[in-house]
Amino acid sequence: MSTTRTILICSGKGGVGKTTTTANLGIALARQGAKTVVLDADFGLRNLDLLLGLENRIVYTAQEVLAETCRLEQALVKHKQEPNLALLPAGNPRMLEWLKPKDMQAIVALLERQFDYVLIDCPAGIEDGFKNAAAAAREAVVITTPEVAAVRDADRVIGLLNTQGVQPVQLVLNRVRPKMMSNQEMLSVDDVTDILALPLLGLVFEDEQVIVSTNRGEPLTLSDSSSPAAQAYGNIAQRLQGEDIPLMDPSQARRGLRARMRKLMQTRIF
Amino acid sequence: MTLRLPDQRLDHWRDRLPDLLSRCSQPIVDLDCGDWVLTCSDLADLCAAVSEAGHQLGRITGQAAKTVVSASALGLDASRSNTPSSRELQPNPVAKAPSELLFHHGTLRSGDHLQSERTILLYGDVNPGARISSAADVLVWGRLRGVAHAGCEGSTTAKIVALQLRPLQLRIADVVARGPEDLPQAGLAEQAELKDGVIAIEPAVIQSFQKR
Repeated sequence: MSTTRTILICSGKGGVGKTTTTANLGIALARQGAKTVVLDADFGLRNLDLLLGLENRIVYTAQEVLAETCRLEQALVKHKQEPNLALLPAGNPRMLEWLKPKDMQAIVALLERQFDYVLIDCPAGIEDGFKNAAAAAREAVVITTPEVAAVRDADRVIGLLNTQGVQPVQLVLNRVRPKMMSNQEMLSVDDVTDILALPLLGLVFEDEQVIVSTNRGEPLTLSDSSSPAAQAYGNIAQRLQGEDIPLMDPSQARRGLRARMRKLMQTRIF
Repeated sequence: MTLRLPDQRLDHWRDRLPDLLSRCSQPIVDLDCGDWVLTCSDLADLCAAVSEAGHQLGRITGQAAKTVVSASALGLDASRSNTPSSRELQPNPVAKAPSELLFHHGTLRSGDHLQSERTILLYGDVNPGARISSAADVLVWGRLRGVAHAGCEGSTTAKIVALQLRPLQLRIADVVARGPEDLPQAGLAEQAELKDGVIAIEPAVIQSFQKR
């Protein structure tokens, strides 16, 4: 029995940060010494290779691995700067026509032999893409933002994960804006955990640097960036590995003029 | 050898299962689910119980589409039976008054729909996006934030009660109302019933829970 942890990164709602989290978390875990592979399970609209800046190094994908046209090692793309991290690129969209849960399970079984962590970047929605990915995962991390629609979708997804026996399921609250929360213009952390009733694995503040890093294909956690989002992803990686790190407190985030100036410089969010 | 789940109006299959299994003599047991609606986890529990008793599960038939879907999802051989199967009398029929209450422990998440002909007592929350329906009363020992439908087969005396009644929508018989917008008073259990054809919400009245 392998002690590999196979974690599904899912959300239900699109655009809340699954791929960004998978990329940053993958890098963070790799930097902390864990051999990590990230698997793009979104065969229709694949993005994980873009966020990692590896799209021009893809030769083989999951499809060729399944068809046994190539060996797994040939398909895996190693990250140049972070050798502990590898990417298994998504197959082509035609695969959606015939891919079954057992195919995803076969891919993951191959990966589990060589890695400590397998992070599966799940497509948005709850249709076949999600079902196939969930069938291959053991644990899950649900990403949501403090917005009613995202929380509603996350609730649905958690219900489905419970039915499939994926556990433990943990929660990451993404794109938190402390100012809006304190003005009660945004759902509070308690509002979210009240409905979803899941342990909070991490809290990531809204950070414009994420957009910049995404476009460049350089995840924030790759550099020694002191941006709050990078720190949050680093913390999440450590918590996944069992360390007890206190969550960032949105209400504390705005105290002190100096802290505010620092925040302004880093995130450029007013 | 067919294992028939008991009539929903008489017994819960979980209660009768050990008894039914002890009467199975053949190694392969087919399962007739009747009109029970079984989820994947229900069927998984059933399978486990059957194998623990030393039998193997053969074909599964049921009237409820969801049961057949759940069974197929688990990879079991399942098919829909269209007509209510003629039920042989169980040896030793137990003459019991039909149970009036369905007790469910757990929170209903968005997309879930718990329905029954009996009064439902839910120990947990009904999240926004979840639904709970009963032909009789709906009692939520928790927060009702989804959609609740009491008296869904036409009973206008049905009630909806919750520790925190803040549903998206309330329905009693065929009357529909939006849930209240304001926050509830902390600790106040409320009930909703039809008064002059309109759904009215008031603090839960203790006397109304006595058997009618």
